[in-house]
Amino acid sequence: MSNEEETTSNGNTLALVYGSLLLRVWLGVRAFQTGVEKFAGTRIESQSVSTEGVETGLETTKAIKFYSLDNYHGVPEALMGKFQEEPLMPGFGLPIYDKLLGVALLGLGLTILLGIAYRSSLFLLGLLYISLTWGLILIKEDGGVAWLGTHMVLIVMALALAPHNRVAILKKW
Amino acid sequence: MNTDPSNLTRRDFLSKSLAGAGAGLVLGAPNLLRAASATDPDAIHVALVGFGKQAEVLFACLKNIPGLYFQAVCDISKNKLQYGMGQCRAHQRTAPKGYSDIDEMLATEKGLDVAIIATPDFWHSPHTVKCLEAGLHVYCEKMMAHTIEAAREMVIAMEKSGKLCQIGHQRRSNPRYRFTLDHLINGRKICGQIVNVNGQWNRSLGSSGRIGGEKLHPSAIVPTEVLNRYGFKDMDQYMNWRLYRDLSGGPISDLGAHQIDVFNWFLGTAPKRVFATGGSSYFKDREHFDNVMCLFDYDTPQGEVRAFYQVLTTTSYGVGFYESFLGTEAAIRISEVPSSSAIYRESTAPKWDDLIEQGYLVNKPAPPRPAKTSGAVQSYESPPPEGFDLPGDLPFYRDNKGQLVNKPPHQPHLENFFAAVRGKATLNCDARHAFESEAPIFWVNPSALSKQPIEFTAQHLTV
Repeated sequence: MSNEEETTSNGNTLALVYGSLLLRVWLGVRAFQTGVEKFAGTRIESQSVSTEGVETGLETTKAIKFYSLDNYHGVPEALMGKFQEEPLMPGFGLPIYDKLLGVALLGLGLTILLGIAYRSSLFLLGLLYISLTWGLILIKEDGGVAWLGTHMVLIVMALALAPHNRVAILKKW
Repeated sequence: MNTDPSNLTRRDFLSKSLAGAGAGLVLGAPNLLRAASATDPDAIHVALVGFGKQAEVLFACLKNIPGLYFQAVCDISKNKLQYGMGQCRAHQRTAPKGYSDIDEMLATEKGLDVAIIATPDFWHSPHTVKCLEAGLHVYCEKMMAHTIEAAREMVIAMEKSGKLCQIGHQRRSNPRYRFTLDHLINGRKICGQIVNVNGQWNRSLGSSGRIGGEKLHPSAIVPTEVLNRYGFKDMDQYMNWRLYRDLSGGPISDLGAHQIDVFNWFLGTAPKRVFATGGSSYFKDREHFDNVMCLFDYDTPQGEVRAFYQVLTTTSYGVGFYESFLGTEAAIRISEVPSSSAIYRESTAPKWDDLIEQGYLVNKPAPPRPAKTSGAVQSYESPPPEGFDLPGDLPFYRDNKGQLVNKPPHQPHLENFFAAVRGKATLNCDARHAFESEAPIFWVNPSALSKQPIEFTAQHLTV
């Protein structure tokens, strides 16, 4: 191999390593933060209204976002009702899915970010997105289906680039 | 009337102690409130005189005001009396004393500080005068009285007794109204010259019907001899006193008093003339007109103002109730219902970008523009005015479910009254100011009946 060919090969490998890392971080953050947001809620607080520094006696409200275990909602309330009305949706499964979704997103996001059983984590995240896609197909949320489709493409790309993934734990998986 | 030295000390405490300042400061934070007990040294001892529908509205606000102890309830109806006492007991854990007669209550109860009067209009004046003479501060529902003479007696009694007497024109303490008047109309002269005012209270048949009758539960029946003793011919008169000329001023007084008070308050003067018309056009059996329309002429420091007011009890069409101030640069429509309120800038007026930047107004989504007309009509059209909103609403508190809700509209007025009782505020609508504002209203029905304009003189409008 000539010096020129060696440099090109190293350059391509580095690009693939960077590409793999970027995808890993993106997919990991996407899943983890989505899981965190399942614990987000808002509280409404009042605020005094002043004009030019002078209190007017009027008040207005402001929504303040906060996180709490009590806020947990796996499947958004707006969609839950629609899913419950779907004849193909198993009634017993929905509450379980609702409880597990947030934890699954947090767990898979974390393992992908840390590179723990990277390929299997990506595979499981893909399955999770497929389950979400199936639900959205049932309730005819075509936009959401397309959106999840782009996630699936990214997961497949990440799997294809997995041989170039560095800093991984449980590499076999 | 009060000869108990311990109570005298407490009253003195109420007006002088710095502890009152602390209580006054938390008036705006009802979520922190606790009902006072009879032995709290800074508690204000309250008598509720009349516990009908309006008293329930007031009591819902009173419960949010700290430091009140409901010592007595008075109502000629056993049913309402028990209900009122139960409400107080549920709130403060101890039952108030109950009376069917106000004279007995005033003679028996020691240590009362305040009376809240929510009886039929024709009893307002006698009840207020009795309570003032007994040394109590009084909050009395509007309209002051059913006759101008009776209203005069309230002013005289207030000034003679040296006690406070607030009349329940609750818009006078509403922060939205006060902001609009103080900051926008007077402060920033946002309307330019106000040339016209109009207002209305339109109410549907469903809200204007006779109540009671055969549907009345037997426990709600007040014995005829009791009714007669207190000026009612029978249960129908007792339940529907607003429909009778001897007992009330009718719709122009019941409903119109709110808006016409705002006309006079915002314009800062009384009208010089009224011309009214009205009729029993639908409810043929009623003594009062079921619809009244009237015109008031004003001379204000900024020039002539002509005001139109209508009260209709046969239709709710047209945004219900509101007051509008129409100026050369802007029109303000204000109502106790925030969604019925708006401020419109004339297209020829200076831009209000600075007012929005400084927090005086917020943008309101523009109404859809009507399709352009063609030909000659188009040349007569004015460009549509741009709409704006006030930057806020009444203060909020958390209800017992933890939800953030606006204070009820009557609460700021009651808070103002109790702050004044504690020596921390002046009344926003004492009996004299209320009389000056209400006096023209007493002449609407006479004008409509005679079909003649009435030119006001000092005799018409002064105590």
